[in-house]
Amino acid sequence: MSYQVSIFLENKIGRLEKVTAVLKDAAINIRSIHLNHTANGWGILNLVVSDPELAQQRLNAKGMSAALREIVVVSMADRPGGLDELLKDIVRAGVNFTNAYGRAASGGDSAFLVIDVEDIPGARAKLAEVGLEMLADRQVYGS
Amino acid sequence: MYWENELEQLERRDLERLQLERLMTSLRQAANSPHYGRVPEITRALATGLKSIAQIDELPFTTKEDLRKDFPWGFLATDKRDVVRLHSSSGTTGNPVAVYHNRHDLSSWANLMARSMYAAGVRDTDVFQNICGYGLFTGGLGFQYGAEKLGCISIPAGAGNSLRQIKLMCDFGTSVAHAIPSYLGRLFDVFNEERLDPRRDTRLHTLVIGAEPHTEEHRRRIEEMFGVKAYNSFGLSEMNGPGVAFECTEQNGLHIWEDAYVVEIIDPISLQPVADGETDELVMTTLDRQAMPIIRYRTRDLTRFLAGPCACGRTHRRIDRISGRSDDMFIIKGCNVFPMQIEGVLMKLPEVGDDYRINLETIEDQDEMIVEVEVKAEWFRGDLAFLDRLQRHITRLIRDEVLVRPLIKLVEPGSIPKAEGKAVRVFDRRSK
Repeated sequence: MSYQVSIFLENKIGRLEKVTAVLKDAAINIRSIHLNHTANGWGILNLVVSDPELAQQRLNAKGMSAALREIVVVSMADRPGGLDELLKDIVRAGVNFTNAYGRAASGGDSAFLVIDVEDIPGARAKLAEVGLEMLADRQVYGS
Repeated sequence: MYWENELEQLERRDLERLQLERLMTSLRQAANSPHYGRVPEITRALATGLKSIAQIDELPFTTKEDLRKDFPWGFLATDKRDVVRLHSSSGTTGNPVAVYHNRHDLSSWANLMARSMYAAGVRDTDVFQNICGYGLFTGGLGFQYGAEKLGCISIPAGAGNSLRQIKLMCDFGTSVAHAIPSYLGRLFDVFNEERLDPRRDTRLHTLVIGAEPHTEEHRRRIEEMFGVKAYNSFGLSEMNGPGVAFECTEQNGLHIWEDAYVVEIIDPISLQPVADGETDELVMTTLDRQAMPIIRYRTRDLTRFLAGPCACGRTHRRIDRISGRSDDMFIIKGCNVFPMQIEGVLMKLPEVGDDYRINLETIEDQDEMIVEVEVKAEWFRGDLAFLDRLQRHITRLIRDEVLVRPLIKLVEPGSIPKAEGKAVRVFDRRSK
């Protein structure tokens, strides 16, 4: 089971940097970042990091609202059309997601897509049925 | 020249004699109510009589808290069968405040309202559009009955829907309108969006503005926008509603109708009257109400008496525009709001932290109430939908409580300064 760290942030100068400073001090590597802002002056920062538990703990200790949220991470080919192929499979699996973001893996031809869904076990089963490969924690968090 | 020539020009001595006579009648009437029936000073005043109106200071004050405690019928001074109308305004916490009227009261109120509008130059040849909420808010029915009594063609337009307001104005040749000042800027914008100019495309010559504190500059701006004279109206539902005090065409202070009210200005700490001309808390006693007489009501509104006679010839004293409150109540979009009401809503929600802040701001010419709320870290699940739902939920709860739709701003825990002693929760940055 993989987790992203989700952090509640007000849309103000310096708020994002406050988070990255904490992670830097804990020597935590950020593998993917996604910032989700609403029209109401706040938003949620989603991070895939090398050590989500430690990141949450350090951020909470600094008074920030950080939560671990389970995600499904699927791999895709790092070339034109790679995401489209993946999405066709996800459509075929009948999985609806509320949020998605990705990154290319360094030094290879693969990339991954993080998807946020309501029913994680259900989504895993459906994605497995259409033959999609879900990444193990080690691959998600990196070494 | 006046709506009631004799009454409006009574010599001071005669006016005070009339007040004393009416005060004794009011006290006799009030003593029928459960609340005033147990006030010994009133029993004593009825037994021994009062020699002058100045002796009103021997009677105890009535506060909003009293009205709340004896809600709903503790101030009823007539048979309940007599009552024909009820208005209600918000209280600080828990019970609201109820004000009831019999036929005499409504007719007296309508007359004061007609007298007020007449003083501002409104006549029975005018078409009057009442742009404000009907229902429990007294500005709707109060102005409606007054304008009808005066003989205007009276259009109960209600609040909002600017396009419809403009259409009514154009179709019927509205010449006088009543609205809260913060709405008129918005209405003017819609005129512009429709490529209309109220100065050219309407027959408006008079606006009546009230129910919200506003400055002289704000009034002048409204007059400029619409090409009209704008007159200040003051009232509070405990004293009927609008028609308590009103500007005449001199636009120099509001005549407060002293045949209907005894008016005092006191220091809220010492509870003694202040020197003439000093600004402090307005205290009022009803002189012409039967179902619910109120004695020495602490309005919490701050004002002062203006010295000297008014050029219009009316002898009823003038008060200055309301400069603020002696409690923490604020008025937005015509609604009275106590910070405690908002606190009451927030503190019932487990997801919400103890600190909050209420910002009153002017956004695109509209006054808005922005409530900053901390979401507790332990409730945060990294879920946008949850926060979205929480935000909407708080919006609805506060709106139901104070009748004004707030803008809710969720902020990071710990970002609102901790309350120390009597925390200042309200930051009024509205443009004046």
